Amino acid sequence: MSDTILEIDSLSAGYGDFIAVDKVSMTVEKGQIVSLIGLNGAGKTTLINTVAGLQKPDGGTVRFKGEDITSLSADKIVAKGLSLVPQGGRCFNRMSVQDNLLMGGFTKSARKKLKETLGHVYELFPDLADMKKRPAGALSGGQRQMVAIGRALMARPDCLIFDEISLGLSPAVIKDIYRRIIKINEEEKTSVILIEQDTRRALNASDSFYVMLKGRVVLSGKSSGIDSETLKKAYFGI
Amino acid sequence: MNKRLGKPVKVLDSLPLLIVCIAVVSSLYVVCFTGIASNNAMRYMIQIFLYITMGEMWNLLSGFTGMTSLGQQLYIGLAGYSVAVATTKLQHSLGVGLLLAVAVSVVVALLMSLLLFRMEGMYFSIATWVVAEAFEKLFLNWKYVEQGSGLTVRVVPYPKIFEICAFSLTVCVAAVAVVYILLRSRAGLGLTAMRDSITAASACGVNVFCHKLLVYVIAAAFTAVAAGVFFVNKGIVYPESGFGISWTVSMIFIVTIGGTGTVAGPIAGAVIYVFLQEFLAHYPGWSNIILGAVTILVIFFMPKGIMGTLQEKLGFEVFSAKRFSFAKHK
Repeated sequence: MSDTILEIDSLSAGYGDFIAVDKVSMTVEKGQIVSLIGLNGAGKTTLINTVAGLQKPDGGTVRFKGEDITSLSADKIVAKGLSLVPQGGRCFNRMSVQDNLLMGGFTKSARKKLKETLGHVYELFPDLADMKKRPAGALSGGQRQMVAIGRALMARPDCLIFDEISLGLSPAVIKDIYRRIIKINEEEKTSVILIEQDTRRALNASDSFYVMLKGRVVLSGKSSGIDSETLKKAYFGI
Repeated sequence: MNKRLGKPVKVLDSLPLLIVCIAVVSSLYVVCFTGIASNNAMRYMIQIFLYITMGEMWNLLSGFTGMTSLGQQLYIGLAGYSVAVATTKLQHSLGVGLLLAVAVSVVVALLMSLLLFRMEGMYFSIATWVVAEAFEKLFLNWKYVEQGSGLTVRVVPYPKIFEICAFSLTVCVAAVAVVYILLRSRAGLGLTAMRDSITAASACGVNVFCHKLLVYVIAAAFTAVAAGVFFVNKGIVYPESGFGISWTVSMIFIVTIGGTGTVAGPIAGAVIYVFLQEFLAHYPGWSNIILGAVTILVIFFMPKGIMGTLQEKLGFEVFSAKRFSFAKHK
């Protein structure tokens, strides 16, 4: 029990009458990589947006490090150590790369070791150090994604959520980004949730997985040794 | 786009700029107190100082934070009536009147935030305007403030014009300084981030509500002081003159002409506005059409306003809000 870092219990969320996430339960262990896969519109993004406090839940609870964070606002959740790399990166385009990273260390807890963390992020992404004075809007898609990851790392999270990190990027860049995610996980013992549509890549990188379909978890288990036929059926709902 | 964003910019935020600022401000004080300027010139100066204050505040809301309010006249009207009630009805001094104006505006701003911050973008803009209109109707029907016939502002002893001028200058300098310091602070970093992406900003740990509230209350307070002085100068306040949308039109003109999202913009905009308005007074009926045409032309040909375009062309920046400017890169 003490090894569980994030515990989602029958969480529901939606938009008006539409139920996007229907009583989803999920657990993430300390230092684990969990992948959350599913089709477009399965409710993956709504689920993690609700967990991160960007959206209000309609029911259920979220416990992080044993503490109930269900009703907290996004900024308080970040301060607790749960960071989200939103879909599409969402860099601050008119701010420099370094300002973007410094924004990541906005919370009080992160500010104490700001310089140290910044150095660490530049070590992990040496390309960013070379262009720290350039505006983020002038970078390529892959570079902006790196900025977004670096920015999330600046908050020194215990659990990192990546929302469709590979969206719109070339295979070579995706491979590079995955390599670094695994490195972050191994070095910092940061728990990671990967939201993906690319099933194989996500399963290869993760310890366990959840498949979502139409707002519900339809399959979950250990990532290794999952038989592809069962997975396909759950993924497409056939 | 990349080229524009990556343009090298020299920031003049060092000692020389500070010295120039102090020199300009102190010479303006000298002009106020020694009586070099005629009363007429001082009347213009007062208007310019007050419009700079209001413009800076509107720019802080809209240009830097992305909260485009069409209802700042709410605080202008409240300030006008606060000063009138405190001085004429309750026989207090002007200082008490201005303090009351700020207090009323801050309290109303805090209450309004609960209502207005539920909305964003266009909805926020319309809601601010509706609230201001609602207050106009309230004052039109309120017996205590003489309904539609207005309240006179009778200040005893009436301040000398150079005193009003010096006070306006002080308010104006304080407004520019507050905006500048706020934008350079940690809160300013959060505000600039919010303008680019609210979601990402809150995912970084920015408390969006508190940041909005801070800016909204500061804007309300400064707008109220400026408006209070304005109505002392004018001598009477009506519901229409206090809560009219024309105030917002003026502020938008000043900020757009001067340069949205630049601290120096509203200063240039206010100077142009006051002189243009004076010049257009000779053409009654045409003045608003000409002001509108000028605004459209500026939006078409200089979308960044006068200061924004100048800064881009000459590659400098005065009062930069960026803490880490885009320096040269290959």
